[in-house]
Amino acid sequence: MSSGPEARAIGSTPLARATRTACFGVAVLALVVWTVFPFLWILLTSLKQPLDVIAAPPKILFEPTVDNYLAIFIGKQKGVYASARPDFPLFFLNSILISSGAVLLSFLAGVPASYALARFEFAFKEQLAFLFLSFRFAPFITFLIPLYILFQRLGLYNTYSGLILAYQLISLPFTVWMLRSFFMEIPLEVEEAAKIDGCSWWGVLMRVILPLSLPGMAVTLILGFMFCWNAFNYPLMLAGRQTFPVTVGAIQFISYEEVLWGQMAAASLVAVVPQLILSLFVQKYIVRGLTMGAIR
Amino acid sequence: MAVGAGGIRARRGEKALPYLLLTPGLLLLVGMLYPFCLGLYYSFTSYFLQYPHLFKFIWLRNYLTLLKEPPFFYSLQFTLGYAAAAVVIQVGLGLLVALLLNRRFVGRGVLRALILMPLMMPPVITALMWKVMMASTRAGILNYVLSAFGIPAINWLGDVNPSMVSILIIDTWGNLPFVSLILLGGLQSLPYEPYEAALVDGASGWGVFRYVTLPLLKPFIILATTFRVMDALRIFDVIYATTVGGPADATMNLHMRAFFFAFQWYQMGMGMAYAMVLLFLVFLASLILMRSWQRAAEQTTL
Repeated sequence: MSSGPEARAIGSTPLARATRTACFGVAVLALVVWTVFPFLWILLTSLKQPLDVIAAPPKILFEPTVDNYLAIFIGKQKGVYASARPDFPLFFLNSILISSGAVLLSFLAGVPASYALARFEFAFKEQLAFLFLSFRFAPFITFLIPLYILFQRLGLYNTYSGLILAYQLISLPFTVWMLRSFFMEIPLEVEEAAKIDGCSWWGVLMRVILPLSLPGMAVTLILGFMFCWNAFNYPLMLAGRQTFPVTVGAIQFISYEEVLWGQMAAASLVAVVPQLILSLFVQKYIVRGLTMGAIR
Repeated sequence: MAVGAGGIRARRGEKALPYLLLTPGLLLLVGMLYPFCLGLYYSFTSYFLQYPHLFKFIWLRNYLTLLKEPPFFYSLQFTLGYAAAAVVIQVGLGLLVALLLNRRFVGRGVLRALILMPLMMPPVITALMWKVMMASTRAGILNYVLSAFGIPAINWLGDVNPSMVSILIIDTWGNLPFVSLILLGGLQSLPYEPYEAALVDGASGWGVFRYVTLPLLKPFIILATTFRVMDALRIFDVIYATTVGGPADATMNLHMRAFFFAFQWYQMGMGMAYAMVLLFLVFLASLILMRSWQRAAEQTTL
């Protein structure tokens, strides 16, 4: 505890204090390097030509090129560049489509469900809530195998609607638990007052609950989208080349013959741009989101 | 967890309302439970995707076959061992980072925002980023840095022991901030009185940490542990993007093996049997951890 009284009690001699400060500085520096360096390195790699990528020792200074980005976006091939993947814009669009679709569907079903779970007393309430939660912890393979078989039969394999349905496994439990935690933060008295004023449950929901939890819903929407964006294993087997999201698209640069390091690096960076931007808006809620509302 | 807080008692004629509200959600839920039940059924069948005529209900034979396979026991051992190692290292380091961030210093806010970045990365992209750095030759930046200290090049993802450590490093990079931020939140919510009491009693810095901070932090530690255990037991994306279970099946956990059975060898029945074993493990772990979390939360009145 830094601010506690103990911080003053120990390290009283100047030398001890200097040592402590030095150790502290080193620790902070290590944390910064550990966190930032992988990003920095992938950025450098994405700006390198194929020969610079495999140069030993690794090159810190080199002639930067945007060819990797051109290759993944418009399929421009030049000189030593092997098979370029011009379909990355499509993968990006797929990610947006599938993630938004899944989040919207989860909201349609999740808003009334979480309102019921937050405000009403009924039989099997907690069991139902935990049933939703349990999907968060189930290994994806328990769903992926039967879904793969079902989707092949129903013609949902390699379709947006199929993927949106599969992504529900990620977004619905999250939406229900997050919204429930936000709804429960609204004081009961506000709701009772509205009821006394003659509002039906619908009026209460529309005029009290939803407006009051607007920020919470925005956070849930954004975080839900981000978690769907991160999904890899469902689309890995349920999507085809036309419906790959960016996560599956990024590993397409690894093949048995070779790894297109530069293009893979560029694709990886492009794939996380939305995440880095969106996380700015929900910084304070990320831990709450990752714990399904358990930690405020 | 957000449980309790007395709800509105339904008025007469509104008894059905909560169920009505839940209907769309429940429909989706049933839509998810159906494939799950189908999968459970498949685990009792000999389902080869390419030979549908061999489909037969074979009771528990998949599970008995699996119990006779040495690879199953290796996968089980690796899955459990990995989860244990991941939790100990990530919660241990996470506590250190949380203590670090709990101090006041210039740039603390920036650092806290910075460590959020790995947290929101798709795990598969995280794995690819590290794969670039972990190139086996001297072209890999990690090996180059090691060579500066006179350490010979490591085949990070290509040798048995390093590959397991590499997976752990990548996983830790992605999830350390999660643990750190949970514990930091815990540290900042601690009451002040026990510290004053400890000061009056003349406790040392370590004594305060050991006998005041740690016990008060226990619910947070257990919560972080719960999430990490469950995710480490099921780790897949990172392994798939780096070693694909290799080298020589060294990083083949239950999840990977289930995937291989289903989508490499098209033995859906065996794949589901593996999946069910893993599900059982996760369920067991969640049961134990949830219990201890509830107990800890009650003791410390979180």
